[in-house]
Amino acid sequence: MKTVFDGKVRVLDISMGWAGPLAGQMFAEMGAEVIKVEDTHHFDWWRGSLSMAPPEMQPIERSAVFNTANRGKRGVTLDLASPRGIEILKRLVKLSDILVENFSPGVMDRLGLGYESVSAINPRLIMISMPSFGSDGPERNARGYGNTVEAMAGVTGLTGYHDGSGQRYTLSNALGDPIGGLHGVFALMVAMRERQRTGRGQLIELAQVESLIPFVADGILEYQFTGKVPAARGNRHREHSPHGIYRCAGDDNWIALACETDDQWRSLACALGLERLAADQRFAGASARKANEDALDAELSRAIAQLNADDCVARLHEAGVLAAPVNPAPAVMGDPQLRSREYFVAIDRAVVGTHLYPGAVARIPDTPLRADAPAPMLGEHNRQVFAGLLGMTDDEIAELERSGVIGSSPRQYRAES
Amino acid sequence: MRYHALSDVRVVDLTHFIAGPYATKLLADMGADVVKVEPPWGDGGRKLGPHRAGDKDRGALFAFLNLNKRGVTLNLKHDRGRELLAGLLDGADLLIENFAPGTLAALGLAPAGLIAKFPRLSIVSISNFGQDGPERDGKLNDLVLFARGGWTFPVGERDREPLTPPGSLAQYVGALYGAVAATQALAARDLGLGHGQHIDVSILEATVATMIYETVTFQYTGMLRSRQGKRFAVGPFLIVTLKCKDGYAGLHCVTDKQFEGLCDLMGRRELASDPRFNTALNRMLNSDALLEIVEAFFIGRERNWLYREGQRRAIPLVPIPSVAEVLEWEQTRARNYFETIDDPVLGTIRVPGTPFRLTSHRGEASRPAPQLGEHNREIFGGRLGLSDSAIGALAKAGTI
Repeated sequence: MKTVFDGKVRVLDISMGWAGPLAGQMFAEMGAEVIKVEDTHHFDWWRGSLSMAPPEMQPIERSAVFNTANRGKRGVTLDLASPRGIEILKRLVKLSDILVENFSPGVMDRLGLGYESVSAINPRLIMISMPSFGSDGPERNARGYGNTVEAMAGVTGLTGYHDGSGQRYTLSNALGDPIGGLHGVFALMVAMRERQRTGRGQLIELAQVESLIPFVADGILEYQFTGKVPAARGNRHREHSPHGIYRCAGDDNWIALACETDDQWRSLACALGLERLAADQRFAGASARKANEDALDAELSRAIAQLNADDCVARLHEAGVLAAPVNPAPAVMGDPQLRSREYFVAIDRAVVGTHLYPGAVARIPDTPLRADAPAPMLGEHNRQVFAGLLGMTDDEIAELERSGVIGSSPRQYRAES
Repeated sequence: MRYHALSDVRVVDLTHFIAGPYATKLLADMGADVVKVEPPWGDGGRKLGPHRAGDKDRGALFAFLNLNKRGVTLNLKHDRGRELLAGLLDGADLLIENFAPGTLAALGLAPAGLIAKFPRLSIVSISNFGQDGPERDGKLNDLVLFARGGWTFPVGERDREPLTPPGSLAQYVGALYGAVAATQALAARDLGLGHGQHIDVSILEATVATMIYETVTFQYTGMLRSRQGKRFAVGPFLIVTLKCKDGYAGLHCVTDKQFEGLCDLMGRRELASDPRFNTALNRMLNSDALLEIVEAFFIGRERNWLYREGQRRAIPLVPIPSVAEVLEWEQTRARNYFETIDDPVLGTIRVPGTPFRLTSHRGEASRPAPQLGEHNREIFGGRLGLSDSAIGALAKAGTI
């Protein structure tokens, strides 16, 4: 079946980490030809560090996260510190629709790849820059990655236990990265559509922190109304109760459950054999339960601690209560709903073999997304791209290898710098 | 802010609460003509908090999530309501909805039938579990979604319950995939297919797609990330939230250079060549010892000093701000990021601006979110050509 872009769109992806690469990967899912450019010195830092294993183990080809975020791309290397490397990159720019970069502000200009320059080469080019905090403003040069962007967006300040003990926590997935990347894909699709009408490309500026702040809009608005900084709520809800995570029998087994109505609360109490609680005046009605939430949680914790997590979730589902096990990775992979929809896709990747990866999210029936191609090895497609696309001869390619402009192994075995 | 990049795109918006409305807000911010269709009793999301004291009918989140849309009311259980919806769908590019799966079909508006009738129309359905599968009709909210999707298990103290992400983040993640899917449908139609499609987006799958650390890394290493308290994980890096004199700071120390910078910041340059810490691998093996040293240093310093001095050494180190500090941050102020909206009910509110900037043209000020049925006359009269008396009769019959 055809893909959305059917090979008719070319993306040049010189980004690293997750945010930029995710944008490139989602274009690969749509059938765009995505060329990932790395430097043999400064290869994508998500490949990890060379110090993690001896060279023969090829540690930088064993990164789970790199191998996920770069699926379906063609991998080439270019020394962007050399004039030859820049010159070749510009030849690729001329042939591309999209350029994705997430360097710190100013780096592209220093490389001679600022928007003015690349647009002069290719006026139809759409370029996206994804600085952490923006390309202007007093803090433009501050360094940020997924977790620090998450913090500066206000998310971390809201993440803590409801009782105020403990501290602030960073979430488990460097949230700034995927959210920046997803907004980036959306922005690029919008610019592609605008180009259909105008015939011209443009520069998109995506400050990663600005793409995440909308997700905490409710806290920002609450502060404006109350003048008070909203407290971390932990697993609790502004209005509903019970709403929490409770330990089950066994080692580190937990379930999450929530009641949003009085009916659900009564069903929950009965499903767990706690009929006396259903009749308890302290817990009659949403506001009473909220006012007595500590007592309610203590009662529930005692009862649930005796139960097997899967049995408990099954009983709660039958009772119409929102519930799920708190899944560690293997349980996520085994989730019956995800399996039924064949969500994960198996990919055989050089060096590491076959694993399951998260599939494409949108199910588009006539132009399905393709998330099942492997991530490239460092410089894997040098020949294919430089000969096939740029028409270089074998001699030219060999000369570029000799002079270190391109390569397929990390230039030096030393810790990443 | 409102751009006009998508000014030739017409969207019929049947969404409610958060996941659907944020998806259509993204389209509306890009200039799409979004007509929000609510039942005469309103989107349940109108009542979501936070509220200005004394006003429970217009939640502030609604006022944010529905900027730049126009609003009409329609009772889709009435024959005439469905006819008017068909009128809106005629010539529309997108129908976006986040009802429970099967709801449209039960109303006699099955997606396949709509697409057959309006071949250029694409439908994006955003739902908790997707449009099929054994648990299609199950109930979920953010707490339960994140628990199930793997985000929650690794966060929090080792001896305490795992900690869910704050707010309604899962709804926004689902929305984002929905908005991208809408543009994918348009691209597929315009570049090759010539016709629309029905697209299925599951919020559960969206949360799993954005949690690659757990599922993929586990298969590669066989190791399960457990809760590590202040640490993001134990690895060849130090990604940690640290208590300091006046709050918390976030440190992201991954590369050798960043680690050398951190040692310099602490006035302990010898640690960079200490055999316990001189490589990424050794820093992982001696993570506890390293954390102890860094913690002891941070606790005696102020957030902003750490930020300034850390960044001067090119270390990604930030003061963890409250949402109030985000709103007043000199960086968001200098970039005019937050937009001031004069909401007809709530008065002046400051809301997050567009998540990215187009440079092809200047954006305009956002339009406030519609009041219930605010654009009935404009849309039903102007676009569908109904007379004032016909609109009055529809209102009397409870159709609008």
